Formats: sequence, structure tokens, C-alpha cells
Amino acid sequence: MMWDTLRRYVRGLWNGRFILAYTLLVSLSLFIITPFLLILVKSLGKEWFGYRWLPPKVTLDWYKWAFEIARVPEVMKNTLIIAALAILMSTTIGICSGWAFGRRHLPGKEALMSIVLLPRMIPPITYALGVAQIFYALKLVDTHFGVALAHVSICAPFAILVLSSTFQSLDDRVLEAAGVCGASPVRTFFHVTLPMIMPGILSSMIFTFSTSYNELTLTLMTYGPDTITLPVRTYLAVGLGYWEVTSAMSVILVIPSFLILILIQRRVAPEKLLGGFKGL
Amino acid sequence: MKKWWTKHSTLLVTLLLLLPGFLTFFGLFFYPFVTTVLLSLRPEGQKTGWTLQHYITFVSEPHYREVVVLTFTLAIATTLLSIFLSIPLSLILRRKLRGHRFFRTMILVPLVVPGMIAALGLLLIYGNRGWFNLFLRDVLPFINGPLRINYTVQGLILFYVWLYFPYTCLTTLSALEGLDPGIEEAAEVSGANRWKVLRHIVLPLIMPGVLAGSVLTFMASFGAFSIPLIAGGNFRPLAVEVYKQIEIFIPGRWSMGSAMAVMMGLMQVLFLSVYMRFFRTERIQ
Repeated sequence: MMWDTLRRYVRGLWNGRFILAYTLLVSLSLFIITPFLLILVKSLGKEWFGYRWLPPKVTLDWYKWAFEIARVPEVMKNTLIIAALAILMSTTIGICSGWAFGRRHLPGKEALMSIVLLPRMIPPITYALGVAQIFYALKLVDTHFGVALAHVSICAPFAILVLSSTFQSLDDRVLEAAGVCGASPVRTFFHVTLPMIMPGILSSMIFTFSTSYNELTLTLMTYGPDTITLPVRTYLAVGLGYWEVTSAMSVILVIPSFLILILIQRRVAPEKLLGGFKGL
Repeated sequence: MKKWWTKHSTLLVTLLLLLPGFLTFFGLFFYPFVTTVLLSLRPEGQKTGWTLQHYITFVSEPHYREVVVLTFTLAIATTLLSIFLSIPLSLILRRKLRGHRFFRTMILVPLVVPGMIAALGLLLIYGNRGWFNLFLRDVLPFINGPLRINYTVQGLILFYVWLYFPYTCLTTLSALEGLDPGIEEAAEVSGANRWKVLRHIVLPLIMPGVLAGSVLTFMASFGAFSIPLIAGGNFRPLAVEVYKQIEIFIPGRWSMGSAMAVMMGLMQVLFLSVYMRFFRTERIQ
């Protein structure tokens, strides 16, 4: 009797599976996206006290504060310079060593590869204090190059991983075919090889940018008054407790991340993200 | 000489190409790590002398034991919850329902946004006057008063799951999509019902993928820094505790911090090797 009821119940659930599935999907999306909506509302609201869903007045004052007092443009400039330097260095390293790992025969390649990739397996805080000590001694602290160099320690392994698999999938026969058809090596490189490896290089650059842009641990250890990046600025602002201004800053700060998201969705397989590219 | 060069030039070029990668590893990872180890063996604030005092403090003081327990609790709870969330989610997303691309993009959001901002938004939404508690008040009025979520362990686990479940979810999804549909069809033709196919065919086959993803979630939540730094309140896992050693104390307790950082690295490596040996997961890609 009871068994029967249970069975009917399960059958009912199965019949309503689309509703159930969509309920789960929609509540997950709300779980993920509402924090950002609330940040947006918070950054536009005024005199928002008590238990209310929305603020009574709308204002752009907090953005003005973010620009004038928190100096967001300057901080953004720092962040972008550091990210650009980190991308440049990591991609160069990735192309050289990725080529060696992907195209050359090496004894003990697996072991060598896992050594180079080891920094991705270990949280940056475990060696961040050492980085700080060394960079202090070398006077690299509070320079854009220094902060970018610290970021390279986690960006480069990822670039090597992505690029070596890109180079590995490069088909020799295609290159030979180009040669047979009379293309010079230079022409082969620019018209055949480069278009084939460009997606890999681009995705490596996207991930490097994202890692450097989000990185907090290593930046906290190497930043100074002239190299405050956006995550550090947000951390300091949260400590001061001005939630509205911090929200306004965060809205500006999160825009590049969503642009990156669109790029990834369009151009790169999401599974590739799993290189653990994110700064913890 | 000339002959020697032509014979070995390929090898030399290969080694030259490997050089930047290894320079990065030794200069930016290995050397700083060794420096951290040396620092942890010095008496506080001194450049010479040896001591094991910091490690003894770390092992013997109950406060640090609590920190370690908290770190593992957070990481393990997050890993388990992520697995339980990811499997049904991937099974649904695999069906390619209408709008599945949108929901797939949603899963990527936590991977690309800075952890700081995520923490800020989560603190706002789960605060006493945040939208979550307003929703409870207006829709489920039988729950008494605002639920306290921010600055509690449960809240921290919730935030961690928000930030780190995509690692598990994406690997699970790609494992499911790499599954040969013929196997399932064969099982169905042989008379297995849907539940049996799921239980005995699909789940065992995707388990290696799920576990590889859960390792990533575990590593990320074990080393989590941004979220507990501003959303942890009095609950400080290891990574934050290391940073607080040099942020709160003046002058900073660098040696103590380093000792904790080294212990943290060791625990992570130890746990991972046990985990991988135990589940025999594939090498993480």
C-alpha cells in the first residue's frame, strides 16, 4: 500500500521532471547572480535603511566618490599595466617551454612537466612570504614589474600547460603538405602554423589576464602605495566599511570579468578553464 | 667541434627552450619556498640562528589545532556539497534543455569574477537585512527572525560552495558528455530501467571525472584566501591566519607565519597524495 503511494509519487516527479529541472536551474542561477544584482542596487541606492527590498532614492554619488576618493582610474591603470606585463612574460615563457614540451622528444617529459606545473597545485600563500622577503631585498616591491613578476609564478605554469597541448595537436603532415606545395618556411609559418596556434595563444592570454586581474594573495605581499590593484583596493575599502562606495567600485571592477566571460563562452571550451587558473 | 654541434644541436635548442619554464619554477616558486622554510627556522625577527620553536608552537597550542580543524572542515564540506550539487546539475544540463547555454554560462561566473567581489555580494545578500532574509520573511514567514549566515561556519561553507563548485561541475559535465551513448543504450536494451542505468552504468563511469574535479575544488577551498579574509569574521582558516601573522602584529611575525605556511603546504601535498592514491584518480589536467 505504502509502496504503491511511493511509486505513484516517484512517477509524478518523473512526469514533472521538466518543471523540477528548471526549478533547480533557475534557483542555481539566482544563487549565482543575485549577489551581483544586489551590489549594483547597493551602489545606486541612497538612504537604504531597515528591512526593505529596494532603496528609496537613486543616486550616482557613490560612483563620484569611487572616482575621486578611491581613485579608481589610477588603480585601474595599475591593474591593467600589471596584467599586461604578466601576460607578456607568461606568454613568452609559455611559447618557449610549451614548444619544447609539446614538440620535442624529451627523456622523462612527464616528470619534468609535473615539476613545472607544481605551483598550480599549491596555494600561493605557502610561498608568498618568501616572495615578499626576496622582493624586498631586490627592491622589486611596489613596482609594476615586481607585482607582475609575482603573478607570473602562477600564470606561467598555466600558459605552459595550455600552449604545450596546443603545439602537441599541431599536425606535422599539414606543415609538410605546405612545404610540398611550395610554400617557403616563412610563408608556412605565417599562413599555416600561426593561424593554427593562434586560438591556443589567445586562450592562454585570456586566462593569464583573468588570473592576474583576480590575484590577491601575491599582490598583498608585493604591493605598495604606487601599485595598488583593484582587488587590493576593494579589500582595503571593505576594511574601512564604506559599503556603498565599495559596491560602486566593485561594479566597475567586475565589468572586465564579465567581458572575459563572454569571450570564454564564445571562443574557448569551458573545460579548459579547469587549469585552476584562478588566483585564490 | 662542428660535428658535435650538428649532432647535439636539437637537444641544445630543446634545453634552451625549456630554460624559461624552469627559471620561472626555480626563481619564482622554489627559491621563495626555500626562503619561507629558512625563515620559519629563524628566531622571530633575526637573520641568524636556528630554532624549531615556531613549529612546536604550531603543534602544541590548541588555537592552531582549531585553525587546522576549521580549514579541513571547510574544505571537506565544500568538496562533498559540490559533488552532491554537481551530479544532478550535470545530468540535467546534459539533456540540452531549452536555454542550457545560458545556464552553462552561469556556472562559469564564479570562475572569472574576483573572489573579493563575490565575497562582498554574498555578505550583502545573506546579511540580516539582505535579500535572502527578506525572502524568508515575506515568503516563508514561519521561520523565526532573520537567519544568521554571515560570519558563521555554515555561511562560510555556503560561500565556498558558491565560489568553488564550478571546478567539480565542469569536470562532471565533460565526463558525462564524453560518455559513449552506446553503453547506456546497450544497458537499456538489456532491460535495465533508468535508475539502474544511472546507478550501475553512468555513475561508475563518470566517477573518475567527478573525483578529479573534486580534487580541484578541495585544493581551491583548502587554500581559499579572499573569501575568508573578508567574510570569515572570527573564523580564520590557515591561509588567512598566515596573513594575519604579518598584518596584525607589529612588527610582523614573519617566522611564525612562514612556519604555518610550510605546514599548510605539507598538509596539502600529503592530503592530495593520500586522496589520489585512495581513489586512483587520473592525473589532474
